[in-house]
Amino acid sequence: MSTSEAGAPATVIPIDDVGGRHHGAADATGKAPVVATAPPAAAAAPAATTTTTTAPRKTAGLPFFRRADRGSRCVALIDFVLRVAAFGPTLAAAIATGTSDETLSVFTQFFQFHARFDDFPALLFFMVANAIAAGYLVLSLPFSAVVFLRPQAIGLRHLLLVCDTIMVALLTAAAAAAAAIVDLAHSGNQRANWVPICMQFHGFCQRTSGAVVASFLAVLVFIFLIILAAFAIRKR
Amino acid sequence: MKGSSEHGETSKAPLGRGVSKGVSVLDLILRFIAIIGTLASAIAMGTTNETLPFFTQFIRFKAQYSDLPTLTFFVVANSIVCAYLILSLPLSILHIIRSRAKYSRLLLIFLDVAMLALVTAGASAAAAIVYLAHKGNVRANWLAICQQFDSFCERISGSLIGSFGAMVVLVLLILLSAIALARR
Repeated sequence: MSTSEAGAPATVIPIDDVGGRHHGAADATGKAPVVATAPPAAAAAPAATTTTTTAPRKTAGLPFFRRADRGSRCVALIDFVLRVAAFGPTLAAAIATGTSDETLSVFTQFFQFHARFDDFPALLFFMVANAIAAGYLVLSLPFSAVVFLRPQAIGLRHLLLVCDTIMVALLTAAAAAAAAIVDLAHSGNQRANWVPICMQFHGFCQRTSGAVVASFLAVLVFIFLIILAAFAIRKR
Repeated sequence: MKGSSEHGETSKAPLGRGVSKGVSVLDLILRFIAIIGTLASAIAMGTTNETLPFFTQFIRFKAQYSDLPTLTFFVVANSIVCAYLILSLPLSILHIIRSRAKYSRLLLIFLDVAMLALVTAGASAAAAIVYLAHKGNVRANWLAICQQFDSFCERISGSLIGSFGAMVVLVLLILLSAIALARR
């Protein structure tokens, strides 16, 4: 009798987890049946209970810091910050390699006196890959922001994980190839009679070495991003 | 209403469990493929040894993988990844039996990502050196040594294939583990 007094919708009881889907729905009719089931004996003042429970809902209406979402939002925030952090080294590496151009004032019989990144296909690949990675990081920032705002968007997390994995492979390949060439330029090879060109081209060598180091730092950040995404995807 | 929801869950559960088991079995198969790839690459590169019958004034007449430190790194990296993959087989079998293992899957993803970085670095650095050996570099006056050492060059070029294949397989493994984590 008392439950029928609370209204016909009392038979439809959608007991979701707290604030799962109805974020801003401060509906009195939506709240009334949920409250009516919990204290079925307190039918004497259903109006009083509805007002006391809807009032704190309205003041704490910010959907941000709900306890159930806090962990995944924290992870998404770290994800966003790491993406911004990885953008710096990749862009710097691409620019540093792209503007590496050294002309010597002396010229010998065996050496050409001009060195550019164009002359080494591995450095060209390195610059292109870093540019691609920097562009990808910028483009993935809005997706990361959406993941922060909606922690239940698991499909987006999967997409970011897939693209991050491909980017890790590409960036590591480019950084390793450039590192091999730079190491060869520094120490040469006796067996193959490859002369270390860094003896002459100081500025070129320093620039490309710095770019390689920055790129490897970005690879580390990417690896951490993947692990973070996998950690966030796991089902509780 | 409650009865229908229960019925829906029980009809979905065997299908969900079947897909999870399929994913874990595919994971195991891919690990085997990656083991074969990295092992073949390491062996093919490690057994390079070519001695030319003649010798010129400028180029020594013997070529081994240890003459180029990058190729040594390639052999070492592939061996490490091969050993890791063999050691991760029991974990993979465990995931087939028990699909609820959450933290071991996370550990496997973490190690897979680290190994992906290692094998990609090794394969890519070796590819840069092999390209240099084939084409040389005009600006730096680096001669293309493949003109003399034919079979050495062929072998080091061929051994890259297995390593790059293992890299692709590792990427697939990471994606599969992520899918399995989300379904469980």
